[in-house]
Amino acid sequence: MVIERIDEELCNGCEICVNNCTMDVIRMDEKSKKPVIKYPEDCICCACCELDCPEEAIYVSPERSSPVLVAW
Amino acid sequence: MYDVAIIGGGIAGFFAAIKAGEKGLNVTLVDKAYAGKSGASAFAGMGYMVYNPEWGLDRDAFLKEMYIKGDYLNNREWAEIILKDSLTTYRDLVSWGVEFPIENVNNTPNDEYFLPFGVVRIKRRQPMPILRKQAIKAGVKIIDRTMVTDLLKQDGKVVGAIGFPITSYDLQIFKAKATVLCTGYNSFKPSGAEIASLTGDGDAMAYRVGTEITGKEFPDTGNYGMTPYTSWRGGRGSRAVFRYYTLPEGGRVQVGDEQDLSLEFVVHAGKGPILWDLDAATPQDIERMRKRQQSSDPMESERIGFDPGQGGKIPIAGGGAAGAPTAQTAGIWPMNTQCSSSVPGLYVAGECCGTRYIGAYHPAPGFGLTGSAVTGLRAGFGAVEYALHQKKPKLDNKVLESLKTTLYEPANRKSGFSPRWVTQILQNTMIPYFILHIKHENRLKAALTIVEFIRKNLVPKLTAKDSHELRLAHETKNMALNAEMILRASLFRTESRGQHYREDFPRRDDPSWLVWTKVHDKGGAMTVTKEPIPEEWWPDLSKPYEERYPKRFPGE
Repeated sequence: MVIERIDEELCNGCEICVNNCTMDVIRMDEKSKKPVIKYPEDCICCACCELDCPEEAIYVSPERSSPVLVAW
Repeated sequence: MYDVAIIGGGIAGFFAAIKAGEKGLNVTLVDKAYAGKSGASAFAGMGYMVYNPEWGLDRDAFLKEMYIKGDYLNNREWAEIILKDSLTTYRDLVSWGVEFPIENVNNTPNDEYFLPFGVVRIKRRQPMPILRKQAIKAGVKIIDRTMVTDLLKQDGKVVGAIGFPITSYDLQIFKAKATVLCTGYNSFKPSGAEIASLTGDGDAMAYRVGTEITGKEFPDTGNYGMTPYTSWRGGRGSRAVFRYYTLPEGGRVQVGDEQDLSLEFVVHAGKGPILWDLDAATPQDIERMRKRQQSSDPMESERIGFDPGQGGKIPIAGGGAAGAPTAQTAGIWPMNTQCSSSVPGLYVAGECCGTRYIGAYHPAPGFGLTGSAVTGLRAGFGAVEYALHQKKPKLDNKVLESLKTTLYEPANRKSGFSPRWVTQILQNTMIPYFILHIKHENRLKAALTIVEFIRKNLVPKLTAKDSHELRLAHETKNMALNAEMILRASLFRTESRGQHYREDFPRRDDPSWLVWTKVHDKGGAMTVTKEPIPEEWWPDLSKPYEERYPKRFPGE
């Protein structure tokens, strides 16, 4: 569910995904200089990280962190 | 030390920052995420309201239709100002490189579908990064990923704000001669909607320094979830979508106006869930739905490959906005057309500025975005003028120490309640359609009891394990305050009007409720008062009710 993975092999460390995340889900790892998924429970599935990733290294699943209740 | 500190990096914040920066002042813009990718503006994709007489738009027809739709709750002074300035901001945006695709037979930028209103198409996610560049060009110092928690108020004036970077516990103090709040509206972090960072921080901070907050009883019914599961309301192509909203027992759902409560009423009658019957859609309607999706939700189609032509019966949820207010009808009360609040030194713009120009109802897409740009521009100029006549503020240590303690309390607490859990309770209390959209005194009071308990017993014991959670804790505290404002204003207005519907008072009540509401703090207690609407802005009371108000509420 939500943001599932960032492919470290493909990632170029540009940090676009970190800046694109309005919920602070993704943080840069000081040592590896690569982004890590730190707070997936706050992901809102906007997919801005995935859409703007120049290396197509990110996959966001449309599954929400909590279900959308359709019948109210 | 800044001349002007702007809090919030959406369209209002950028307009204020660019205008103040271009005057040569020392300006900073602070955002809790990354300015340009943050807030509702970053996801705006439905349109931008522009009134341009050169496009053949009729100003009188435009305003008249807006007042009728707004159930006469419009502030007409603001309506005229925003119409006039909409063209100024549109021209600014064009000159900065923002694109407005033209798609109509007359070859004018406005979409004729929305006549008599002027609405131009925009490209989703394009404008804000351009505005960020423009702000940097204007010399604005942008500070990203920094959560502002409170305004600094001393000697009756706001002299800046304090906060922390969401990646550490470092204290950040923004001393400023003038402060502009551009923090957007509040929702309750509905699941999967892109507005989850909008937690009414500005309304809450302004309330705490003693300003008045208006219009909290008017919720938004629009869709914000980039998902086929959230009802598609508003915009060209909505009609084609509505034609296939069906009931499980068979038959079509009668959808009235694009933003009305018809879906909620169906569900309230126990006839849900509403199913979007794509199997029945004609090829022409599927094409219309695709166009609507491309104009408003291109990310969704690109990312999960949802296509209206895929068939199936999709259950939909209403109230995707889940707590968000009617654009600029709710927000901090602006004292004048320069957007100053009732506290000197504090200016307000964007969705947290209650201009009330559209009244009680969303007329068409793009009105929130344009109202935000215009108030941003005006607050920018207002703040500059004020800052030029102020001396450097000297901070009072006592004020600072007390706010600092409040800021770090959740992080220093060893035990208590997690912000995520308290948020969940708030969602469960506020988001159900029978609280937020179809209201009744009994249910509002029940919800208020819960929210009061949350504010009294849970909020003071919020915990934070790290700086990320410290942001969540402050957001939760602000959402809880906003929830109480929404419930109290909703209880107070004992009539129905626009997007505020009371099952127990299903009629508009003229002239008793030709008033705006104001929520404010009175000696620690939240109070609601009435502010009369000038009589010359009232509907013609000599006409029968049915003529004054063409739209009916159920049960009236």
